[in-house]
Amino acid sequence: MELAKSVHLTAAGTPVQPKLLAHPHAKTGLMGWLTTVDHKKIGFLYGVFALFFFLVGGFEALLIRAQLMVPNNNVLTAQQYNTMFTMHGTTMIFLAVMPLSAAFFNFIMPLQIGARDVAFPRLNAFSLWTFVAGAIILNIGWFLPAATHGAPDGSWVGYAPITSKQFISKHSIDFWVMGLQLLGVASIAASLNFIVTIINMRAPGMTMMRLPVFTWMTLVTAFLIVLSFPAITIALVELMMDRNFGTGFFEVSMGGMPILWQHLFWVFGHPEVYILILPAMGIVSEILPTFSRKPLFGYPIVVFSGACIGFLGFAVWSHHMFTTGMGTVATAAFALATMAIAVPTGVKIFNWIGTLWGGHLMIRTPMLFALGFVWMFMIGGFSGVMHSAAPADAQQQDSYFVVAHFHYVLIGGSIFALLAGIQYWFPLMFGRKVSEFWGKLSFWVIFVGFNATFFPMHFLGLNGMPRRTFTYDPNLGWNTANFIATIGAFTLGVGIAIYFAVMIYTYFKGEKAKQDEWDGRTLEWSLPVPPPEYNYRVIPKVHARDAFWYEKQNKEEIAAERAAGAKAEEAHGGIHMPHGSIWPFVASMGSLIGAIGFTAFDPVPGPGFGPKLIISLVGATILVIGIYFWALEGNEGYHIHVDEDGNVTEDHQH
Amino acid sequence: MLPLPPSLLRSVRGFAAAAGLLLLSGCDLNFWRMDGHQSTMVVEGQVAREQLQVFHVTVWVTMVIFVIVGSVLAYATVKFKARSAADEHAPTPPQGHGNPLIELGLIGASVLALVIIAVPTLKAIWSTYDVPEAEAKDAYEINATGYQWWFRFEYPSEQAALDANAKAPLVSANELVIPAGRPIRIHLRTVDVIHSFWVPKLAGKVDMIPNRANHLWLRADKPGYYWGQCAEYCGDSHAVMRFRVVALAPREFNDWLDQQLQTARNVTPTAADANRPKAQPVALRAFKPNEAGITDKFENEPLKAWLEKQAPEKGEDAALIAQGKELFLGKATCSQCHTVRGHGAAGVLGPDLTHVGARSTIAAGLIENNREQLHRWIHDPGAVKPGNKMAKGYAERGLKLTLAEEHALVAYLESLK
Repeated sequence: MELAKSVHLTAAGTPVQPKLLAHPHAKTGLMGWLTTVDHKKIGFLYGVFALFFFLVGGFEALLIRAQLMVPNNNVLTAQQYNTMFTMHGTTMIFLAVMPLSAAFFNFIMPLQIGARDVAFPRLNAFSLWTFVAGAIILNIGWFLPAATHGAPDGSWVGYAPITSKQFISKHSIDFWVMGLQLLGVASIAASLNFIVTIINMRAPGMTMMRLPVFTWMTLVTAFLIVLSFPAITIALVELMMDRNFGTGFFEVSMGGMPILWQHLFWVFGHPEVYILILPAMGIVSEILPTFSRKPLFGYPIVVFSGACIGFLGFAVWSHHMFTTGMGTVATAAFALATMAIAVPTGVKIFNWIGTLWGGHLMIRTPMLFALGFVWMFMIGGFSGVMHSAAPADAQQQDSYFVVAHFHYVLIGGSIFALLAGIQYWFPLMFGRKVSEFWGKLSFWVIFVGFNATFFPMHFLGLNGMPRRTFTYDPNLGWNTANFIATIGAFTLGVGIAIYFAVMIYTYFKGEKAKQDEWDGRTLEWSLPVPPPEYNYRVIPKVHARDAFWYEKQNKEEIAAERAAGAKAEEAHGGIHMPHGSIWPFVASMGSLIGAIGFTAFDPVPGPGFGPKLIISLVGATILVIGIYFWALEGNEGYHIHVDEDGNVTEDHQH
Repeated sequence: MLPLPPSLLRSVRGFAAAAGLLLLSGCDLNFWRMDGHQSTMVVEGQVAREQLQVFHVTVWVTMVIFVIVGSVLAYATVKFKARSAADEHAPTPPQGHGNPLIELGLIGASVLALVIIAVPTLKAIWSTYDVPEAEAKDAYEINATGYQWWFRFEYPSEQAALDANAKAPLVSANELVIPAGRPIRIHLRTVDVIHSFWVPKLAGKVDMIPNRANHLWLRADKPGYYWGQCAEYCGDSHAVMRFRVVALAPREFNDWLDQQLQTARNVTPTAADANRPKAQPVALRAFKPNEAGITDKFENEPLKAWLEKQAPEKGEDAALIAQGKELFLGKATCSQCHTVRGHGAAGVLGPDLTHVGARSTIAAGLIENNREQLHRWIHDPGAVKPGNKMAKGYAERGLKLTLAEEHALVAYLESLK
């Protein structure tokens, strides 16, 4: 990625530092990537990993649809099928949609608030590499013997007690537990970073009610992650203790309560749904105003309803458990709370339509995906309201109707918005733009394929087909809908392939984009494309909600302000930048090694050192060393000077 | 595990051909009617009907909103679309930030729409939870227990003969027979993981959760034969953990009970039977993995077919049955896991087989109970139902049966009416 044209001048008087703690200066090459703390590079890496796992999860989905194309099919065995849907769900949620959102949080959010980086750049790198470690642990089972290890196969919700050693004794569940645990660490660390960044690092004048909606949704999502992940962390620790140390949290013979897992899981799991959709809503709330050439309709209400969804998201978890025999009062309470959450969600849809109303709509590819999002999310929202009616849900729960519902929300919703976001910010991120023809073609193939796949599933579910089933008999009236769904899935696959091909082509050879390609409204569009390492030569002053739109209307005022700002910054020593560091990467790799030791090996009988203990301890030691040197190397940075002609020099003295 | 199975390649190759063929051969394009055996839309029980009514309310309310909001969205998209490059660069539209009155009005309308859904929802939460108070005394109680991967049904109020002297509550498996028209309260338990009891045409599902006493209730409108299936992922063979519910008119239900309460049927060979020439056992044909094991017999008039199944098979070979019984209790070690009341088999790990011959399906509602499928099942249970305990038992005991022995066992099982 070409980030900045910088002349690298190592100053003669670099302070004497122990060799081990010398700050890495590499900006390119492998070491450049491993030691980077630049939020844009980290965001880019998040995006690359997320898109890779999106393809992996998609491949798993195609195998699932191939198996279900006709009744009594044999593409996969029962065991393989169960592994496939477990990993499809886990991968898409934790390794595709969440990190793709994180890619945008990283890349775009600091630009939108006029900051030069996130609050804790090295913690940001640690989040990224710990995410990679978790992804490796989750998937490592594919490459190990299926009889003793194998990939996780307890479904993405992992309901106790099927995940106990008694029912799945192989290591597949250990990988799942430890993988999710590491992903939780990564997500919480990243979220704390985003919260601190948004609260503290806004440019002068960027009040909370002037924040771009995407940044607002980043903030709400980060709070959801910080508050909800502890619940699953506890559940996973308990499961790990049950499986490894003989405790009985979910062990019925020891008085354990399997239902406890469901409560802990969904106290996390339902906010998780909003963790997946709120960033998407944020992206759409950026795209619609830009391409309508109008401010967002009812900004305060959109922001407030986003926060409201965040709060209510913690009060509806048991609607996933309407069939667990909660009793009438609890069922009624959760049914009503679930209906209530439809109000702020509906409000957003009204406001998006209000944004379009009276605008000049430019139907570019990102706008097309965003409009597709609004339609598909509406359908998914309505089937969600149907589920909130608990008695109706007793029929729909764990049927294909639910499968249809959440794919409308997660593909038609999250994925459409993320695909829109990629194309929307592509000119900013890489200085190139996607061809309109190929972009729109990919949209229509994806749109048709998606609906052909998932719309028939509503009928399947209402006709009694349960989910997570590897086979079905031909006499139940499910053949045609399943067949159509499979054809739709492969069409969707073709659409995604076109999208990816176009994206990769554009990255290398696409048409050059100009600065402010879409006539944008928020600050990130004021930057040269691609943005330089330091983002803003002068930290901007914010005068209005659509800050850059205001700047474009008041060019003279802003130019004078910038010149004064540049002088003031140079008087303070130039643009302050954080040093790169290898230690976050080292710490993350320590947790990867330790996790492999802990999950992939059996303990040796009796006391003594086996591979399990040794490798775990080696990993833990590397983790501690990484964190120790991370602390020891200190958090000082260096300065960048940009002269009148835009020439860049680096000054590594303090 | 990842390398593509060859069968996938075959599927892909057959894809285009199959696509054309299926559509040309008039494959059911009426799937939107949703009237299959497990339909939640064409129901035959009171609880399922109340649930469906609530569903209809949600569908109508959301449809109306969808049509209104969708029309406005479609109109706005078309009306305000820029028609040309010049249009796009026309002077910017008014930069308004919204209208609080419109916002509040829409919020109020949304809340109102939700109240329309909430009222019948609350009503049905209570009415579908348990048998109505007025009829509570009349409710027929049944205990259903989930196992990996089959259902055990116990009738606590019916005392079945274990042998000449002892009695115990009647136990059956995988086919729940109930009196039609009467409220049934089913207590849901599990011995291993979570399962879920679901007979879509009669009632929505309720989970069977370890360490938790759940129940559901249902009432079949009229006598009928209903398809059910486990609805909570419960391991390898979750997809093939199925069952049936048979609702009978009161008289037929009592007849059925009378038969069930007795010990297993004895077929004693006479001297003449012993001397009759033996039929040559037919070898089992090859089955594709995961091949369907059903015929049309239970498609059109399933209840009639089921009632016929209650009578002994024609042309029984008494000598073969006797040989099968001996194998069941001896060499084949079936009795270690299965009960056959009155025949000295008292295993409890597997389904009770005292009257297995009178059931319409075996292997937990998966395949039809006929000679060929029974043979297929006992020949290699693991191929029919991946990971099941019977297959594990065969492997642990190194059990190998000859063709003739398998035939004898099948004859014996068929005789257990």
